[in-house]
Amino acid sequence: MGCSSSLPDRSSGRLVGPNSENGGAPDSKNLRVKLVLLGDSGVGKSCIVLRFVRGQFDPTSKVTVGASFLSQTIALQDSTTVKFEIWDTAGQERYAALAPLYYRGAAVAVVVYDITSPESFSKAQYWVKELQKHGSPDIVMALVGNKADLHEKREVSVQEGIDYAEKNGMFFIETSAKTADNINQLFEEIAKRLPRPTAQ
Amino acid sequence: MADQSFNLLHTLEPRRDSYGFALRPQHAQRYRQYANIYKEEEGERSDRWKDFLEQLVGHAQPCSSEKEHKEALQTEAAEQKLEINSERLGEGEDTSNKKSSTDGSSESDRETKASKVQTWAQIRSSLGVIENMMSSRVKKNKNIKDELITIGGEKNLQSIEKTGSLKASEEFEEEVCVNDVLIDSVNASIAENAEDGIYESKNSTGSEVIFGNGVSHNENSSMEEIAMDDGVSYSVNTGERKKPVNDGIYVSVDTIGVENAVSDGFYGSVNYIGAEKPVEDGFSFDPFFPWKEELESLVRGGVPKDLRGEVWQAFVGVKARRVERYYHDLLAQERNTNKNKENDDLSTAASKWKRQIEKDIPRTFPGHPALDENGRNSLRRLLLAYARHNPSVGYCQAMNFFAGLLLLLMPEENAFWALVGILDDYFEGYYTEEMIESQVDQLVFEELMRERFPKLVNHLDYLGVQVAWISGPWFLSIFMNMLPWESVLRVWDVLLYEENRVMLFRTALALMEFYGPALVTTKDAGDATTLLQSLAGSTFDSSQLVLTACMGFLAVTEARLEELREKHRPAVLVVVEERSKKGRVWKDSKGLATKLYSFKHDPGSLIEEKKTSKGGEMLAKGDKSHLERHSSNLDDLLDRLAVDPEVDSLPDLQEQVVWLKVELCRLLEEKRSAVLRAEELETALMEMVKQDNRRQLSARVEQLEQEVAHLQQALTDKKEQEAAMLKVLMRVEQEQKVTEDARICAERDAAAQKYAVHVLQEKYEKAMGSLAEMEKRVVMAESMLEATLQYQTGQVKAHCSPRALPNQGSTQENTRKSLLPFGLGWRDRNKSKPASAEEYSVSKSTNEPIDASTPQKRTSEQE
Repeated sequence: MGCSSSLPDRSSGRLVGPNSENGGAPDSKNLRVKLVLLGDSGVGKSCIVLRFVRGQFDPTSKVTVGASFLSQTIALQDSTTVKFEIWDTAGQERYAALAPLYYRGAAVAVVVYDITSPESFSKAQYWVKELQKHGSPDIVMALVGNKADLHEKREVSVQEGIDYAEKNGMFFIETSAKTADNINQLFEEIAKRLPRPTAQ
Repeated sequence: MADQSFNLLHTLEPRRDSYGFALRPQHAQRYRQYANIYKEEEGERSDRWKDFLEQLVGHAQPCSSEKEHKEALQTEAAEQKLEINSERLGEGEDTSNKKSSTDGSSESDRETKASKVQTWAQIRSSLGVIENMMSSRVKKNKNIKDELITIGGEKNLQSIEKTGSLKASEEFEEEVCVNDVLIDSVNASIAENAEDGIYESKNSTGSEVIFGNGVSHNENSSMEEIAMDDGVSYSVNTGERKKPVNDGIYVSVDTIGVENAVSDGFYGSVNYIGAEKPVEDGFSFDPFFPWKEELESLVRGGVPKDLRGEVWQAFVGVKARRVERYYHDLLAQERNTNKNKENDDLSTAASKWKRQIEKDIPRTFPGHPALDENGRNSLRRLLLAYARHNPSVGYCQAMNFFAGLLLLLMPEENAFWALVGILDDYFEGYYTEEMIESQVDQLVFEELMRERFPKLVNHLDYLGVQVAWISGPWFLSIFMNMLPWESVLRVWDVLLYEENRVMLFRTALALMEFYGPALVTTKDAGDATTLLQSLAGSTFDSSQLVLTACMGFLAVTEARLEELREKHRPAVLVVVEERSKKGRVWKDSKGLATKLYSFKHDPGSLIEEKKTSKGGEMLAKGDKSHLERHSSNLDDLLDRLAVDPEVDSLPDLQEQVVWLKVELCRLLEEKRSAVLRAEELETALMEMVKQDNRRQLSARVEQLEQEVAHLQQALTDKKEQEAAMLKVLMRVEQEQKVTEDARICAERDAAAQKYAVHVLQEKYEKAMGSLAEMEKRVVMAESMLEATLQYQTGQVKAHCSPRALPNQGSTQENTRKSLLPFGLGWRDRNKSKPASAEEYSVSKSTNEPIDASTPQKRTSEQE
């Protein structure tokens, strides 16, 4: 029964285009966005999500197996709300085989690296390339240097991040899930960059 | 150690469950509710298991009482040794020894006691029967594998040989930290000689301590306690094998806690491979385990906590898998490579695993009290050893949780073999670099979902949720951290017992059955996913879960799954192949041009194609595929190298470059258009899918319309009936009215009649009155008459006219006579009965002639 009643919704959603089902509901004031976090293992993807969604930071968090899901809604100044449906993926290289499952159809991809680890930065570049190849063509990408609180151990300079992001048309920010620095800004900034569905 | 820490925890940490795992705050309440249920269930099941095991031992005894006796002695002796050793260990060299052996308290169970200091421990002998049944299937597998090994010449064997020779010198320093002290101390006198290039050992002591060295020949020391040399061992082995008339006896002999017999089915089977007969007990063991069904139901009911570690070992066939020293050799190898810092391919892979393992160790059950410094060290050793043992898998996230759990339940080396069993057999191909089987399983699961819960899947499709998003992590983690721990362990109980992944599917389907109805009500993808995640996380009713899983989805069997896997595997392989190719292209970008060139021109590319497809087939077959693949990749490289000079030898280099550029552009364009086309096709497909859905829906609508028409028909029928009924009713009413009228008329008539009666009565009374008056008159007239008569007689006497007078006198006398009785009769009648006319007439008729009386009456009435 539920299916038959929802039939019109479905067909109207289809009019917006192949990405609309992830890009947001037809309502231009209340967006729904599928966001995927990618990046090397241990760079703090789960911590960023937990900080953003629950406002917590747990230095001893668990390994993510496969992927985990959380969602959070934020309100912007122009009184639109954005509901982020966040898929936090496992970082180990071999789980990349499963990543397409999660980034396929995502409107936003947040690629995270650890500013104390050049290796994770090159891993981030791998993800950017992968997304350019296989992600949605109009995907909004953000490059995030996490663990900014560990600046004394920094090995990837801010400039490197900025340069790479600029070259690839990404939004760049450095965050710290531990101190909550820039975490909300990250998501607000993403929300602002989302393509708004034109009023129908 | 596990049990002990569990018990401690229960009282100390309110935020952790009775297993020591962290509880999510939102579940604390519900956990507390269920804790009592768990406790009750635990009590019940430990009783049931106790009974079962007693029965089992009783069952096994009569067959082999003699042997058993002997063996009991043996084991006792061995245990004594063990205890002595462990005490010594505890005092002396325990710094390196893993878990805190703090207890010393009243631990009646000797096995657990031993396990605190040991890295390897036997499981209790009462479980031997189960272990045997289970390990016979391991043997079966191994026999087949061994054949491969002997043909293929597996790396591990070689490495053991290598380290084996190193051993003699290093043993004593090194082994201390590997916790092999016990075995060393018992075995100190045992020489290891490398004969025929094969590492072999002689077993000298009883069952508990020593196992046949896995790589090759070992003798079955259940017969003798003393060392034998190799030559003898052959004859003993074969002799023993042939002796039993049927397997039942053979098995029950094994059972009683003598583990050695197992080892000959294991790597010892190298002996038999030439001799064509080794698998005998593997194929036909079912009939000899009449209690298998009971065991199955017990397993579904859950394994008691204090038995779990050992029962799991029995299920996985830890003992049958174990190869003496193999684990320690792996660890030693690890240290060697540390020293040598080799830089070959394997070691870079190994260092990658190592880094990953280091990252993950603190993130494995963080804060679990048993995973202290020592616990983490054994976790590290375990994972490194496994990575070495199976380089095609290496280390994959999720294994850290499995290893952690196993370490909580059993000693380190047991945990290693259990892990080996689970990952190499149960989850073969699951955690490899490409995770092929895992992806295949997701496709299979999705198909099962569509089959079982079409409505739910339709809804999820509509929301844009893919089942695999959620079920993928479930499967990969075997539900760890996805369900409450009690439920996880119960699922593992069944899974390990069944030796395949069927339980994964069944559990996931059961969860969908539980939570499908709630999911159907969700409005967007986020809500649906969140809901399912949180509902699954609160599946505290573990018994309901396991029973629904086992009983509700009986049609989901290994055979069916295998069939579906075959169906879906090619698709996954294609994608994987595609990916790995792209990865290669992307990685060695300088080789791109050459590759493109060879793609166009060179037959070498065809070879490459063939090779990769061959590699794919190998993958499909599963076993050892990775080695093959690696080698095929190597061949690729060689091919390419071979192509390169050819390219160089072309006449005009410039021209060639130009041509290549053009070709490259063309190909890139082609690729782009292909990508676009693919996208188009995908959207088209999506549309079609949607339309398809619509078609379904419209069919549904039609059906509904038909139903509505039916109902309307029925309605009109009903209405007609109703009208008819109404008519009938009206008629009945009319009739009723008529009868009513009739009744009223009748009543009126009755009233009139009554009135008439009344009138008559009155008339009658009047008549009576007049009658009485007339009577009076009659009386008066009579008296007057008498008076006149008297007067006349007086006159007659006086006048005397004799002739005329007598006639007159006689007539007058007659009238007087006739009148007198009449008057008297009236008098009488009035005195007696006034009513009945008959009597009245009778009396009249008796007194009078009818002719006279009737006119009289008429006159009275007329008056």
